[in-house]
Amino acid sequence: MLRSIVFSPSVTQGLTSLIRNNIALSGCPGSLVSQAKHMATDAVSQQSGALPGKTEKQPYSPFQDSSNLAEYAIARLDDLINWGRKGSIWPLTFGLACCAVEMMHIAAPRYDMDRYGVVFRASPRQVDVIIVAGTLTNKMAPALRRIYDEMPEPRWVISMGSCANGGGYYHYSYSVVRGCDRILPVDIYVPGCPPTAEALMFGVLQLQKKVKRMKTLQIWYRK
Amino acid sequence: MAKYLGIDRIYNFWRTIKASGGILNSLRLTFRVDELRDGTLVGVDKYGNKYYENNEYIFSRNRWVIYSEKVNLDYDGSQVPAEWYGWLHYKTDLIPTKDSSRPKHKWIADHKPNLSGTNEAYIPYTTTKPKIIPWKPQ
Repeated sequence: MLRSIVFSPSVTQGLTSLIRNNIALSGCPGSLVSQAKHMATDAVSQQSGALPGKTEKQPYSPFQDSSNLAEYAIARLDDLINWGRKGSIWPLTFGLACCAVEMMHIAAPRYDMDRYGVVFRASPRQVDVIIVAGTLTNKMAPALRRIYDEMPEPRWVISMGSCANGGGYYHYSYSVVRGCDRILPVDIYVPGCPPTAEALMFGVLQLQKKVKRMKTLQIWYRK
Repeated sequence: MAKYLGIDRIYNFWRTIKASGGILNSLRLTFRVDELRDGTLVGVDKYGNKYYENNEYIFSRNRWVIYSEKVNLDYDGSQVPAEWYGWLHYKTDLIPTKDSSRPKHKWIADHKPNLSGTNEAYIPYTTTKPKIIPWKPQ
C-alpha cells in the first residue's frame, strides 16, 4: 500500500521514460483508442448545493439484537473470535483435477490470496478449509472423507467447479461421485467449469462473510 | 532534480493524503479498503459506488471502485452494477453516461448483489415429479 503512494506511477524510469516522453515516437495522437480513453478520464462535475448528510452505515457486527449486557458482551467476544478466524482461513493443498490449476492461480501474484490471510498448508491438521477442486471419483472419496476427518474444528468446505458441485460433466459416469456434498458438508459452492480464479476468490470472500456470522460463544451461552 | 533525490515521493504521499480528505480520512479509508490511491473520480452509480481512474498506474490497476459508504465493510464485487462492470473490467473504455449505444429498456431489472447468506438468498427447488417414491414404513 505504501509503495503505491510513495512511488509515483508517473515517473517513468530509465529508457522507457525516453520513449514515452518522445512525441515523435508515440503513436498517432488522434487515434480512436486514445480518444475513447480520454473520454473516460473526465472528472465528474461536482453538484453544488446543501452539504451531504451523514450516511447510514451498515454496522460491522451481524449480531445487533442483544437484549442485556451479558448477551452484548458475548456477542462482542464472538465478533472478536470471528474476526480472527476470518482473517486467517488456511486451505488445504488439495487439487483433484483441472480446477486445481485455477486454485493455484489464486495463490499466484495476480489474485494473491495471501493478502486475505489465506495460505495453503500441506497438512490437514493445520487447515481450516478444504477446497475440493475437481472431479471426485469413487476411488478418491474415502481418502477425501478421511482427510476431512483429520481436520480440526472449526472446518469448512468449499466445493469448486461443477464436477465437485454435482458431478458436472461426469455426472453419468460409473466411477464418479455426483457431487462432493454426498461425502462432506459443503459451505460454499463455486460454480463454473472450471471457475475462474476470480470466482474462487469470491467464494473465499463469501466464506469469510459466513465465518463472520458464526455464533460460537452465543450458542454456548444460550445452552 | 527532485525526482532523482526522491523528494517527489514525499510530495506524492501528501498529495494522495490530501486527495482522500486529510490524515484521519485516509487512515479510515486505508482501514476500509486496504489501499490508498489518488485518481480522478470518473463516475458515481445510483447505489453510491464511486469509480476512479488514474492512467499513470499500470493497466489492470488503473481503474478501481470505492464501494458505497452505506455498506461499510460488507462490500463485495457483486455490488458493482452491470452498467459499470464493463468499464471496470476493461470490456469498454466508455463510461455508461458517455456510451449512447447501450440499450435502455423499461423492462431491464434493477441490479441485485449476491444475496447468499441473507434471508433473500436463492434456494433452488424442483418443479418436476420425483422419480423415486420413498418407502414409508407402516
